[in-house]
Amino acid sequence: MRPYTYAAPGTVREALALAGDGSAYLAGGTTLVDLVKLEVMTPEHVLDITRLPLRGVAVRDGALRIGALERMADVAEHPLVAGPYPVLAEALLRSASPQIRNMATIGGNLLQRTRCGYFRDTASACNKRVPGSGCPALTGENRMHAILGTSDACAATHPSDLAVALVALDASVHLASRDGERSVKLADFYLLPGGTPEKENALRPGELITSVSVPALAWAERSTYVKVRDRSSYEFALTSAAVALDLRDGVVRAARVAAGGVGTRPWRLPAVEAALTGAPAREDAFEAAAAKAADGARPLAHNAFKPELLRRTVVRALLELAGRS
Amino acid sequence: MTRTSLGAPLDRVDGRAKVTGAARYAADNNPAGLAHGYFVLSTIAKGTIRSIDAARASAAPGVLAVYSHANPLRLLPPRSYIAQFIGEPQRAMQDAVVRHYGQIVAMVVAETFEQARDAAALVTVEYDAQPPAADFLAGVPGARDPQTPFGHPVTILADGVPDIDAALAASEVTHTAVYTQPPEHHNPMEPHSAVAMWDGGKLTIHSGSQGPALHALDLAEGLGVPQEDVHVIGPYVGGGFGGKATSWSPTLLAAAAARALRRPVKVVTTREQLFTVTGHRTASHLTVTLGARRDGTLTAVKNLAVTTFEIENPASPPTAAYKCPNLDLRLKVVDLDIPRRTIMRAPGYAAGTFGLECAMDELAHELGLDPIELRMRNYATASPDKGLPYASKHLDECYRVGAERFGWSRRKAEPRSVTDGQWLVGMGMATCVLPSSQHAGAARVRFRANGTVEVACNTADLGTGAMTVLAMAGADRLGLPVGRIRPALGDSTLPVAAEGDSFMGAVGSAATSTILSAVHDAAGEAITALIAHAVSDARSPFHGMDAQDVRYSSGVLEGGGRRAGFGELLTTTGTPGVEAVTTATLGEDTERYAFITSGAHFCEVRVHRLTGEARLSRVTCVVDAGTIVNGKTARGQIAGGVVMSAGQALLEGAYVEPATGRIANANFADYLVPVNADIPAVDVHFLDHPDTRYNPQGARGLGELTGTGVAAAIANAIYNATGTRVRDLPITPDKLLS
Repeated sequence: MRPYTYAAPGTVREALALAGDGSAYLAGGTTLVDLVKLEVMTPEHVLDITRLPLRGVAVRDGALRIGALERMADVAEHPLVAGPYPVLAEALLRSASPQIRNMATIGGNLLQRTRCGYFRDTASACNKRVPGSGCPALTGENRMHAILGTSDACAATHPSDLAVALVALDASVHLASRDGERSVKLADFYLLPGGTPEKENALRPGELITSVSVPALAWAERSTYVKVRDRSSYEFALTSAAVALDLRDGVVRAARVAAGGVGTRPWRLPAVEAALTGAPAREDAFEAAAAKAADGARPLAHNAFKPELLRRTVVRALLELAGRS
Repeated sequence: MTRTSLGAPLDRVDGRAKVTGAARYAADNNPAGLAHGYFVLSTIAKGTIRSIDAARASAAPGVLAVYSHANPLRLLPPRSYIAQFIGEPQRAMQDAVVRHYGQIVAMVVAETFEQARDAAALVTVEYDAQPPAADFLAGVPGARDPQTPFGHPVTILADGVPDIDAALAASEVTHTAVYTQPPEHHNPMEPHSAVAMWDGGKLTIHSGSQGPALHALDLAEGLGVPQEDVHVIGPYVGGGFGGKATSWSPTLLAAAAARALRRPVKVVTTREQLFTVTGHRTASHLTVTLGARRDGTLTAVKNLAVTTFEIENPASPPTAAYKCPNLDLRLKVVDLDIPRRTIMRAPGYAAGTFGLECAMDELAHELGLDPIELRMRNYATASPDKGLPYASKHLDECYRVGAERFGWSRRKAEPRSVTDGQWLVGMGMATCVLPSSQHAGAARVRFRANGTVEVACNTADLGTGAMTVLAMAGADRLGLPVGRIRPALGDSTLPVAAEGDSFMGAVGSAATSTILSAVHDAAGEAITALIAHAVSDARSPFHGMDAQDVRYSSGVLEGGGRRAGFGELLTTTGTPGVEAVTTATLGEDTERYAFITSGAHFCEVRVHRLTGEARLSRVTCVVDAGTIVNGKTARGQIAGGVVMSAGQALLEGAYVEPATGRIANANFADYLVPVNADIPAVDVHFLDHPDTRYNPQGARGLGELTGTGVAAAIANAIYNATGTRVRDLPITPDKLLS
């Protein structure tokens, strides 16, 4: 760990004024503290934002709005979340452990760093950590790595479950900087690695996530988050699927499908959604739609199973939703 | 003598101390003036260190010293056979050679842990690297013969059979398959840690080990001091599993740094470092060939095991499992530039029973036999290698009782027959076996004037409950409540037998039977000494009597109409204590009998038909371990072994990068061990048939037993659920997508 200064601003304005080169915001600390100890992140200034008034879960103009500093555990249990958006609650509850969910915040969850072992090991090269140093994952251990959105510079999987569910729901993040406030669709917020995997999102220097909003979607009541993993709990996804279905009279009127564990960012599957629309709620139709789930996948030596597992994960989620009354 | 406690499901005598944090583990000791050490590890697997730049680290805040081969903490190489074969032949930082990735190449000592850690990140090391040999599977075809006695082949052939291949050729059916598993790591909850301090030329070191006496010997050898000048203290050990059976460089370097700096030094290896600075279980590649008649009678077993470690031989279980006239069991070894291998819970048998017990399941399926029936048709009443009858073996009853408790009769032999919603449900079983071992240990039993008895043995409690068993052994033999016994272990100054293996402490599932025998004998002698004191001390009410006329019963001496508790007697005579120290005489008749602990595992798994996650849903273990000394701690051992083996079956494995020798998942986020959600309720049942030819109490060891067989039972259940036979552990969802 390198020495850093610490400040705990009381207002967003104050936080933004203090932010600058070499600063990092600290919320739940479940990513930052780990990575600082490993010297993967070496901020010079740590700005503790847990006193900022970025809390609250509410419905405004039909949209669900979640303060960036709300804790994962609290959001998962919130009646405005658990009932209308099961996919969000399930994605949260299938993340991490109760201890971590009690600390980690929604904004921090969206900004958590990849679990790629080379990224987290300062003895290894990593284009994300040290641009231009190389990517050992492409030829090394890559069972957990991405198959979608990868580049010759990086195949690190985006680790967030929540982000997958939010992308499926067309959510936006609301940002504040010294230049003012703006909103960005979460699907556009995350960047593909390309040749600059160190640049992971659209945040400008010093910019802060203040809240997340989810547009109204009545049929999101029929939604789920299926997470396939080696271990029953406390483990990242091999593959996951966030799915919502508008199902009437045994026919899919509309669908939202996004995948996790497979992409360098949360991966919306519009081709699957289109194939589902108007399809009967039957396994063969689900299989036909899910066949498109891994289109464009570029598997590596150890994750060649992921395209098939992803297709099956999507089918499984669809079957679970179709089976709900 | 009244049986006061043996067999009772007693709470741990140290349970309260452990759950309240009062128990002081090694790293909980913080003597005045303590400094902290932190290691720098190599980032190549093979080569030499060209240069080490410690200038920035040395100048960092709080740093007291930076040691490396260029500024060494001199350690002598280990001489003991044990340390060389199951530990490190070379101690860290003694030369510029890099032998594996993650080897200790420098040690920073600073005023605080954080200062040492942060300074360690400032040490830069340059290497002349060579390409390592790190690909185990690539090395399997060219594996060499072992060079130690441990790996000798076992060949048993019936009269007139020229070799095993002839026996297999003559068999009506044969089954051959390869079973593999990756390296596994012990990962005890307590990482290897030590707090070392010197007083003149004498070392006191708080360090958890499986055998304090062996640990002291290792330290003395490494540091070049007499063994009696090393005092190892480690009453609480947060898990060992074989990983703390011998001594590793971190502990020796802590002691050497404390000597050089003339102040106490603490070292706590990090979870990540533990993967490479201590030993692990070898990867294994086991080719099992079974020959049988159509009725299931085994005619030949040929095993070829390939590992990276001469001590852990997965070919060996057929020497203990089934009756078979022809055996050919061989080990070959691949030499790799990877971290050291060492013994781990049920060495050889863990990987070996996975292969053998899966192969038996496959054979049963081929022959259309129930897996239990196949095993019963090959039931061994005598040791297959020694030819001696088992003194007490009730494995047949384990099968019967286990099948009943588990509901085995509801199993459908045809795979993929049972579903529950989207989940495929399957049942599997396997035998677990482990040859029994016990040591001729020493014990000290001391009656004290305060009415308590100290019962001491030079062994360790790795979390197994040995402290409680020690107290129970004393209470039982002396006819006293456990509350009046003061057990002592985990200290190298406690009595140790002059000969034999007991100085190794808690290894080989031998601790309980070793403790029982040693305490039994020492307590008997202590009673004799107490009576001798009673009749010889002028202040004693029994003074002048013939010793034969004084009887001891439940802490009270009686004779000639007089009566006194031992506390009262010692108080009257002004004596702090009367003690005896003895080395047990082992009573087992190894000339005429063989001894084995065995059992039957039954598992139910559920596998998602689409996505392939295999989840354990029910487990029954029925165990024949002789007398069960403490039903509660014994159950903990069996259930704990099931958890560990569920990890072996479904989750665990180090991934060594073939090109670099780096362990890609050397941390607890990427090397998965089971969590609570992975483990259902475990039904444990003990038969409790005393094996009194083994020791007077009739107890055999069981600590490692469920390190065997469970992985096979799970794999067999997965086959029954899915029809997919996975022979390469761990059985992760990607292997079940067919």
